Amino acid sequence: MSGDFSGFEQHVDALYRSALRLTRKPEDAQDLVQETYLRAFRYRNRFTPGTNEKAWLFTIMTNAFRNRGRQHRVIEEPIDEPANDHYIYDQLRREGLPLHLMSPEQVIVDRGFGDEVKRALEDLPLPMRMVVVLVDVEEFSYKEVAAILGIKIGTVMSRLHRGRRALQKRLWDYAERPRSSRVAVGSS
Amino acid sequence: MSKDCDSTMDRLSLYLDRELSEPEMRQVRVHLDDCPPCGKIFDFQAELKRLVRKECCTDDAPTRLREWVRKLAAQDPIQP
Repeated sequence: MSGDFSGFEQHVDALYRSALRLTRKPEDAQDLVQETYLRAFRYRNRFTPGTNEKAWLFTIMTNAFRNRGRQHRVIEEPIDEPANDHYIYDQLRREGLPLHLMSPEQVIVDRGFGDEVKRALEDLPLPMRMVVVLVDVEEFSYKEVAAILGIKIGTVMSRLHRGRRALQKRLWDYAERPRSSRVAVGSS
Repeated sequence: MSKDCDSTMDRLSLYLDRELSEPEMRQVRVHLDDCPPCGKIFDFQAELKRLVRKECCTDDAPTRLREWVRKLAAQDPIQP
C-alpha cells in the first residue's frame, strides 16, 4: 500500500502544465499542484490501486481549482452551437487557397498558428478550457472527463465542440494581426 | 455533399478522439480515404489537435516542485 503513492510522482508534469493553463500563472500553478498532492496524500487510502491514478489526481486538482474560484463564479457563455468546429479550414478555403495541394502541417507552420496556442487556450472561458485541456492535451476519454469534472458526457461534447471552434477562431485572429502588434501584446 | 459526407462530418470529432465503436471508426476511415474534401478537413483537425498538445507539453514542472513531490512521496508513513 505504502509504495503506491510514489507512482503519483510521474504525473507532476501533466498536472503542472494543466494547472498553468487553468491559473495562467506559474506561481499559482505550482501552488495548485502542491495542494493537489497534499490532498492526494491525505486521501491516498481511498485510491484503489490499479485504477486510473492520473484521472484521480486530475479530479482532485479540478475540484481544488473550482473551490478556489468560488468567490468569482464563472458564468457559462450562452449556448449557440456552431455548425462545425473546423473554423480555420473554412477560413483558409474562403481565401481560395488550393488546400488539396497543401499539407496541413505546412499551412499551420507558415501561418503561425502555433505561435500563440497557449495564450489562445488561456483566453477560453473556463468550462470550455478545462474540457479542451483534458481531451486535447491530456488525452482523457470523454467518459473520463465527465467523471473528472462531474458533468454529463453530452456536456463534455458540447463544451469540446464550442471550445475547439473558439480556440481556432482565436488562433486565426492572432495570426491575422500584424507581427509588430503581436510582439507588443505578447511581451507585456 | 453526399449523405456519407454529412454523416462523416457529424462524427468527425468523435472519430478524431477515437470515441466511436470499431465498426463506426472503420466506416468513417473508409469515407475519409475515398473522399478527398472530407479527408482534408480531417487532416487539418488532426494537425491542429496535435499542435495544441505539442505546444502545451513544453511546460514541465519546475525542479523545486518535482523535488517537493518526491519528498512527499518518500515520507509516506503508512506502514502496517
